[in-house]
Amino acid sequence: MSDVKISSDESEGIFNEFIQEQLDEIVDDIINRGDLDRFDDRGSDIIIEMDDIQPPTFIYGDNEGGRGSGGQGPGNEKGKLRFRVPFQAFMELLGQRLRLPNLVKEGDGRIKEFSYSFKTFGQVGVILDKRRTFKRALRSSIGTGVYNPAKGQLDVHVRRRDRRFKLPQREEKPRYKAVCFYMGDISYSTYGERLEMEKRLVNFIHQWLDFNYGAGNVEHRFFVHDMEAHEVSPSDFYKVSNAGGTRASVVFDLVSQIAFNEYETKSTNFYAFYFGDGEVFEDDAKKIIEILQTEMKASFNRVGIVEVKPSQFSYLNREIKREFEKDDIIRMGTLRQRTETIEVIKSLFGERRA
Amino acid sequence: MRSVYSDPELAELQNRVLHHAREFGRQIPEIRFFILDRLEFASLLEKDVYPTSPINIWEGKRMVHKKHAIETGLESALYYEVVQTGNPSYAYLNDSNNAVSQASVMAHVVGHCEFSERNVLGDSSPDRTEFVMYLVKRVDRARRQMGERAYLEYWNAAESATVLIAPNSQYDLERSTETESIFRGETSSTTDEMDRPEAPKPLLPVFDTMTTLLRGTVGSTSFEGELRKKRRDETMSRRGYILKSPCQDVLDFLRHYAPTSRAEHAILDYKYITKAPQDFVARTQIMNEGWAMYWEKKIMHALFEERAVKGIIDYARVFSNVCSPRPYFQRNPYHLGYNLWCHIEQLYRDGKVSLEYHEEVDRDKKNRWREDSDVEPVEALGHLVDTVTDYEFLRRFLTPELVHELHLNRVDRQTAERLGIKDGDIVEQDKRYVWLNPEPIKDEMLGFYTHFYRPRIYVIDSDYQDGCLLLYHRDDGHALRKDWIRPTLRNLNMIWKAPVALLTKDQLFAVMGNQYKSEEVKPVSFEQIIERMQKGERPFRGS
Repeated sequence: MSDVKISSDESEGIFNEFIQEQLDEIVDDIINRGDLDRFDDRGSDIIIEMDDIQPPTFIYGDNEGGRGSGGQGPGNEKGKLRFRVPFQAFMELLGQRLRLPNLVKEGDGRIKEFSYSFKTFGQVGVILDKRRTFKRALRSSIGTGVYNPAKGQLDVHVRRRDRRFKLPQREEKPRYKAVCFYMGDISYSTYGERLEMEKRLVNFIHQWLDFNYGAGNVEHRFFVHDMEAHEVSPSDFYKVSNAGGTRASVVFDLVSQIAFNEYETKSTNFYAFYFGDGEVFEDDAKKIIEILQTEMKASFNRVGIVEVKPSQFSYLNREIKREFEKDDIIRMGTLRQRTETIEVIKSLFGERRA
Repeated sequence: MRSVYSDPELAELQNRVLHHAREFGRQIPEIRFFILDRLEFASLLEKDVYPTSPINIWEGKRMVHKKHAIETGLESALYYEVVQTGNPSYAYLNDSNNAVSQASVMAHVVGHCEFSERNVLGDSSPDRTEFVMYLVKRVDRARRQMGERAYLEYWNAAESATVLIAPNSQYDLERSTETESIFRGETSSTTDEMDRPEAPKPLLPVFDTMTTLLRGTVGSTSFEGELRKKRRDETMSRRGYILKSPCQDVLDFLRHYAPTSRAEHAILDYKYITKAPQDFVARTQIMNEGWAMYWEKKIMHALFEERAVKGIIDYARVFSNVCSPRPYFQRNPYHLGYNLWCHIEQLYRDGKVSLEYHEEVDRDKKNRWREDSDVEPVEALGHLVDTVTDYEFLRRFLTPELVHELHLNRVDRQTAERLGIKDGDIVEQDKRYVWLNPEPIKDEMLGFYTHFYRPRIYVIDSDYQDGCLLLYHRDDGHALRKDWIRPTLRNLNMIWKAPVALLTKDQLFAVMGNQYKSEEVKPVSFEQIIERMQKGERPFRGS
């Protein structure tokens, strides 16, 4: 019996499968209800909480209500089961369920990331691999008869040629760079539910780009506009407001200029997303279309225009649709209510149907 | 997992420990020692101390939690001693322990193995571990036969019944049921009666009026007895058993009498065989751990004397930690058991376990009592191992003086405040602790052995309302957790494959197919149920 390896791997596998099913349900829930509130801490592990599972039995206890299930499902206790899902794994799962393709990365890796791995071993080096060295020493000690437990000889001689060292191997990975511009209209009433909806969407875009490019490789910049456009901090993006006239084309113009003047267009991946109520003047819409057509379409990977809670006077998307209805770069979305968040994400990042 | 013989130092230690155990006259079975790494150790504990177990989600869940706890430093991977008693016994050593710890674990295990072998509850069985490994193979085969989904459903259902095990209860399966074979045995054993010429039977027409009239003259017992016998014969031929008193060993009852396929039966067998020893542990933990500590110390002293191991100071520190006093409600079986065994040994040495000592009325004389006795103290201790369990052990030897001496009544001030202990109950105090009145403590400790802080559930009728399994919760002042009754009954229903009901206080809960109902009923006491069952009547007739 001494060769038996005691382990609970298979049982752990069953439990992990159960957790995976629960996770799928949570993701389905997110998809069905547009509930993206779990992305609070950017890039950090996602904390999933679910009812604890316990086999139900007759025990003493209070008589408060609760859920219980029998047979196939385990009973539930009031306690919660908390586990962490790595951000990458969660986003991968979400991407799969939403059928979002990975974003196209440009810049073909002129900027490289370097790292070292220790996958090879040699007779000379700095870091001694104790396990490999001992294995070789034991083998040669048995061979030379130095180690012979039957005779009570338990010495293991480590000779110079038994030594094995870990050798560093340089690995190069292309590092892509991306910048994302978020543009907001501060002249419309961004508060309450409208603000929450916008925040949730911005949050997802932020996470999705971080996931695709790596958190450190994406620069996120925020702009607001009324009659003029300004760059603001991420927190001010949701705070500043102004009641009055509006010209959205100024922010598109500003973003376009920044992209061309501050970044190397060949090696940078540009993304821009506009959020507003869509109530713009006719000449403003025309100007925006012109900027999109002549400047942004050629060098941006994606430009999204989202009308949040549009009114009957919303005009922007209608105009843009005429020009870019089946465009792969310029995408539009209309967010009337929270449950439409996922649909908007799909229209911004999903595969464009022919 | 590797044998202890793969480590020459440990193999030698094992030989010395077993040598001294035999020198001390210990009656030990074959003990096989194995060395495990820390994760193997954690896994072994989740498998009820058997090297293998069938796949199940609960073990997986506990193991995932445990691994996380070990990795994050919330839980230590060092376990003191882990042994599966039986003949042979299997003891497991943690490879990260030092030589003194390994020696003390081996010495400790000797005590457990002997206790299991000798104790009146007869815990030890031949080839227990091997048998469980065979059962695991049967369950694995069952899984393939049943299919993954059906297997998991049935396993989860059986999980609900695993706490309903009481093999050492006075209401165990053997005492509670009369099986066909026993019944036939009884009738065939009355050969003397058969040889005797049969007395003419009174004519007993079954009319209500006549029955009433005959009751006074012919004798009610013979008439009712005939009816009872007839009813019993019918039940026996239909079901193969009769429930003659409540059965507390519910899982054993189910594995014998629930309609099961071979695959399902394998699961119930595995669950019962692996969980049943826990009842022995609960009933003998103080004696058992105390006995193991007692012999561990003796063997360790011998090892230190012959310098087989070094580090007596470290060992003394560990020993005193393990045997540190805790209040009676947080029972430390190592401390209480060890000290009680030492105390009893001293009683025998002083000749105090005698009628003369008990009948002596002069207090001074009693205090100075030292008399040689014919009884060899260690043999007398062994006799106790052979004949009693914790309840009798405490009832006979734990006195209020000893409660105080062993600090079983000592509570730290913070806990005392939290528990709302009144000044009137305190007999002594200092800055850190208060000492409670020791008088009622013994009774409170003995109270544990009536219910083990678990609800007492019995099968009282297996044919209630046409095939329903009726369970009874014996009222001890606590209510059952209500939201778990339904899922538990559903799980038991899956095993019994017919309606299952639970009678608790004035409520009757029942699961019939997909239906669940609860209704108020007239409460029935446990005594009434026993009386009715003895009379051959239905224990509960419904609302």
